[in-house]
Amino acid sequence: MQRLARLGIFLAVWEAIGRWQLIGSGALPPPSAILVQFWADRAVYPAHVWATFWPAGIGFLIGDAAAILLAIAFVLVPVLERLLRGFNIAIFAIPPITLSPLLVVAFQGTTPQIVLAAVTVYFPTMIATLIGLREIDPRFADIIRAYGGGTFTILWRVRLRAALPSIMTGLRIAAPSAVLGAILAEFGSGSRWGLGSFLLGSMGQANPARLWGIGLCATALAACGYLVFSLLGALAAPGTAATTMAIRRDPAAEGGKTQGPLVVRLALMLASFLMPFLLWQGVLDLLQISPVIARGPLGVWRVLVTGFDAADERAALVAALEQSVPVSILGMAIGIGGAFVLALVTVVRPAVGRALMPPSLLLQTMPLVALTPLVVLVLGRGLTATLTIVFAVTFFPAFLVMAQGMANTPRAARDVIQVYGGGALQQIWLVGLPSSIPYLFAAARLVAPSALLGVITAEWLATGYGLGNLLNEARGELDYGMIWAVAFASVAVSVIFYLLVQAAETLINRRFFG
Amino acid sequence: MSTLLRARPVLHRRQLMLGAASLGAALATGIGRARAADTGITLQASWVNDAEFLGYFVAIDKGFYKSAGVGVTFLSGGPDVIPESSLLSGKANIALTTPDTTIEAIVKQGAGLKIIGTQFQKSPLAIISLASKPINTPQDLIGKTLAVPPVNEIMIKAFLKINKIDPSAVRIVPYAFDPTPLIKGEIDGTVDFATDVPYTVELSGKKAVSMLLYDYGVTLYNDTLVATDEVIKNNRQGVVNFLAASRLGWQENFKDTAVYPNAYKDTWFKGTGRATSNDLFSNNTEKPLIESPQGIFSMTEEGIQKNIDYLKLAGIPATREMFDTTLLAEVK
Repeated sequence: MQRLARLGIFLAVWEAIGRWQLIGSGALPPPSAILVQFWADRAVYPAHVWATFWPAGIGFLIGDAAAILLAIAFVLVPVLERLLRGFNIAIFAIPPITLSPLLVVAFQGTTPQIVLAAVTVYFPTMIATLIGLREIDPRFADIIRAYGGGTFTILWRVRLRAALPSIMTGLRIAAPSAVLGAILAEFGSGSRWGLGSFLLGSMGQANPARLWGIGLCATALAACGYLVFSLLGALAAPGTAATTMAIRRDPAAEGGKTQGPLVVRLALMLASFLMPFLLWQGVLDLLQISPVIARGPLGVWRVLVTGFDAADERAALVAALEQSVPVSILGMAIGIGGAFVLALVTVVRPAVGRALMPPSLLLQTMPLVALTPLVVLVLGRGLTATLTIVFAVTFFPAFLVMAQGMANTPRAARDVIQVYGGGALQQIWLVGLPSSIPYLFAAARLVAPSALLGVITAEWLATGYGLGNLLNEARGELDYGMIWAVAFASVAVSVIFYLLVQAAETLINRRFFG
Repeated sequence: MSTLLRARPVLHRRQLMLGAASLGAALATGIGRARAADTGITLQASWVNDAEFLGYFVAIDKGFYKSAGVGVTFLSGGPDVIPESSLLSGKANIALTTPDTTIEAIVKQGAGLKIIGTQFQKSPLAIISLASKPINTPQDLIGKTLAVPPVNEIMIKAFLKINKIDPSAVRIVPYAFDPTPLIKGEIDGTVDFATDVPYTVELSGKKAVSMLLYDYGVTLYNDTLVATDEVIKNNRQGVVNFLAASRLGWQENFKDTAVYPNAYKDTWFKGTGRATSNDLFSNNTEKPLIESPQGIFSMTEEGIQKNIDYLKLAGIPATREMFDTTLLAEVK
């Protein structure tokens, strides 16, 4: 009842803002106008929704099947996980928008959407499955072994069953990502149908109500995916459903723990580093992508190092990085910082957490990066728009990871402080802060690629700066070498950031929690 | 209706299968890899399906291509679509382009492309302003704010130079094909197609005026038909037949500009969210820019020279060899 009242107030305020054109002189239309426009467009929506939904669905199936099969393989053959560690991180770190221009020229039809959706769902599902498969009650395994069962019996009878809730958590995060991936692959594809095509095609019609309708429709589609797997997860594990997944566990620290002689460890590390490059070249060869478009690792090396205008290309790339990376870091710092403060507040005021959790879960599923045109409509084309997008894509996941982690702080620890007369601030300082540090790192690692993705998308569609603009210019000049170089540089930046956070995390964990 | 000719997802050609799971390659072999049909023509358009491509739609639906013995697949364009990239990737073998980007691709990337005809004899690119605060001549721009799409920025700088206007006297802001700021009066002019945006502006109750850049020194064609050297060599007759049938399509469309925007509102134009009256407006305003005494698509020596002259001013080294008029000459 209270929630309905809150929703009512929210809609009434929105209606008033829209009616009197208080934001961006009409850039935020009232909900009633959006509904009227939606009704007027009702004949075309089903086809657009379907054109985004089904490639997203196929990509979701392919990406998740690969993720689950590989996670099983990692559990059975831990060295495989060590070998593919570089690949896993690289896939996680790819900003999908940098792949999109390559996919849309290399493939036709819905293939780019399917591939991009599959790429975006792989990592969350793989990591969730892996955690689920590993965290079993060892006593069950003992029973199976006692009755003569082997590794496969344990896998089938214990691990897979135990992993089901965790897999559902992964799929729940993957489902909205698949929608986002499918929409991003519509940008620049020229496909007639799809919510992304509809959104970009409607930008020139001076009709904000329609843009908002498309944006809300895309959000609803993503949220549906999230809800379906939430429900399935609740069915799979009655009473044990967690609110979200904390990707805190280091895949490397889990199974393939560093062991064996130094030489073997170094060889594995080198192999793991080379693997993404080998797979990159392998995929190009396997698919026989036209050499005009395709650039392997050596091709990018030629563009940036040995080519005749490598110095110019490098200078352009460095200049773009200098524009994009600081904005990403700044936006991410604001997003994570805000989430951190709010999560600390929830330690002492759990009611705040309970009130914020449901809207955060929903807003997290919003394919916001794909809705950049809406943000631009309201906030214009400056730094504010870019920072807002980065803030929004980093804040919610970071808040969820941290609030969930902090909810696990033992109540007794705070009680001790309370008994000794400590107030809310002291509780935060002495209990909340120390226990939240690991989650802060987990959140930073989780959202770094989204931050870069947000910046590049905003630059491409709106502001005309940095990597996004370079990508756009390179597309216009048919400079595929540069497109690959931008994609490579974006992945490299994300991976470096990931590794830096991880190193800092290990250091602090050793110092304080070792 | 020859639905087979439509651009549709190549489902039947796509084999989705899991790659070697042990390698983690979830990508499959030959998933819908881009390739233009070996014998026919695949046309990559430059924008979403609207009146700008009516001639080709008519030629498809009326069977003009079929009678000419050429199979045509139409690929829609849209914002952020680079038509030339479809030619280089082999997705299409003819594309509708802007001559400046095509010639830059030829010069910078060594792309094997030729301009074989032009849809617009005069580019519809214009500076569009409100009649209440009109920009009728380049001089009117002084002290005004102009929204320019990033792709046209070089062109606008050249335009100011040709018209001897100090670039610092005009404030240029990025434009993303949304005329709302113009209607709201936040900016004074936008660079966009004169065949489209004035309609959107007038829908809001304001009067719009357009000043064609062509009339003030930016003497460019637009929607130039660009073919790959490969298709010209391997399927010359097919290209010639394509030009002939497309010309028939445009002639048929211009017999009565009101007919086809209405006829195609639920087929070719479905899903764009554009009003039929918008396409009617476009079809009318495009007619004088497309028709030519020498026949639709034709490029006269004088017209080509004007393009080259402008492009040189803009710093793009265009040459006569990049234009190939021999194919149109074979059209009977």
